[in-house]
Order: sequence, then C-alpha cells, then structure tokens
Amino acid sequence: MPDPNSAGTFSAISATPIDASAVEDFVLSAENGALVAFRGIVRNHDRDGAVTGLDYQAHPDAERFLRECCETVAAATGLRVAAVHRTGSLAIGEVALVAAVAAPHRAEAFAACAELVDSIKASVPIWKRQHFASGSSEWVGL
Amino acid sequence: MVDNAVIGNEEPGILVRYFAAAADATGLDEERIVLADDTLGGLRNELLARYGDPMERVLRSGSFLLDGIVSRDPDRALGERVDVLPPFAGG
Repeated sequence: MPDPNSAGTFSAISATPIDASAVEDFVLSAENGALVAFRGIVRNHDRDGAVTGLDYQAHPDAERFLRECCETVAAATGLRVAAVHRTGSLAIGEVALVAAVAAPHRAEAFAACAELVDSIKASVPIWKRQHFASGSSEWVGL
Repeated sequence: MVDNAVIGNEEPGILVRYFAAAADATGLDEERIVLADDTLGGLRNELLARYGDPMERVLRSGSFLLDGIVSRDPDRALGERVDVLPPFAGG
C-alpha cells in the first residue's frame, strides 16, 4: 500500500480490486485489541429488481473527501482509520468499499467504523449506475 | 497582438462540469454558461430551464462543488467553475 496521508489514517480511490487485508493491516498496532472492518459488497438485488452489476464513478476530488472523512474520525477518536473505495465496473460479490478502524477495545472500534462508513456515504462524491437483469440501468439515489 | 491573445483566452461565462446522472441529463461533460444572475440559484434556474425533468431529478437532492466546497446555498456567488453533483451513492 502507498504511504499513509498522515499519522493514523490511510485512504485511497482504487480502479483495481481492493486488498482488504492491507487496509485492515494498516490500522493494526500493538496497543489495539479490537479491529472492526466494513466491506461494502455489490449485491444481486435492489428493491424489486435483480441486479447484475454496478459501475462506480468518482469525482476527480473524491480522494480528498475520503481522506477528510478518515481524518475527521481519527481526530475525533484518536484511533487509526483506513478506507479504500473502488471505481469502475463491479460484478456481484465484488468489494466496493473497505473501511477499517482499530481501537484498544471493541466498543470504540464498532462506533468509529459505523461513523466512518456513514460519513463516507454522505460526503464523498461517488456515484453508481445499477444494471438490472432486464437490461435496463439507472443511477442510484435519484 | 498581445491584446488579441488575451481576449482569445478569455472565454465568456462560467465553466459548468457535469458528472454521472448530470452528464446523462445534459448529454455533456461540460459547457460554458453565461448567466445574468451569477449565483448558485441563478445557475440552478438556468439548468432547469435548459434540461427540464432529468435535471430536476439530479438537483432535487444533488449539490454543487465550488472552490472545493460542496454547497446548496442559492445565494452563493459563482467563480470560474462549478461542478454539478448528483446525490452521492458511494459504499
């Protein structure tokens, strides 16, 4: 993995498959006894439709927004934080997002990872087009 | 000659960039728009007038990026460039 942005955080937008274990390894350290990681995975349905895949597109500044999400959670908690988001065409079962937080104890790690994922979904300019088995497609969230 | 070169580089209007559903709604990646009302509200009205319902769906819960900051403030003054951001759908 490339160098971290700053002490305690790592973030990236990736056009190639995410190495989830490398993201998790970044947050591990000797003082942390709890690691919570989230993987956002492309699923085969949405509402009533059968989904065949998703195309992810990121704004050119998306990596900066992702970094700010990680740094905000790290600053608020003092914990090690990492997140990587995919772009491009993803098949069912592929990993779109890996977010990881490590803490001395599990409660802080669970809470911080949930906050990180919520923050990423709310504030990073990334879009996805959903392809259905029927052949139609739509941008998610409109 | 120098004056002509300067004039040639100064294109009128604001550069508006479109992403994802906004690019689909306009059929464009970007364009220059000259506005009488140089605010986000003025741009919003112009985009709705040009692109109708598909743009309304984008802007309903979309936002704009100006000078590195995401904004929905209709009074916000525009600069050289603004990006039209459909609702985020990461994760």
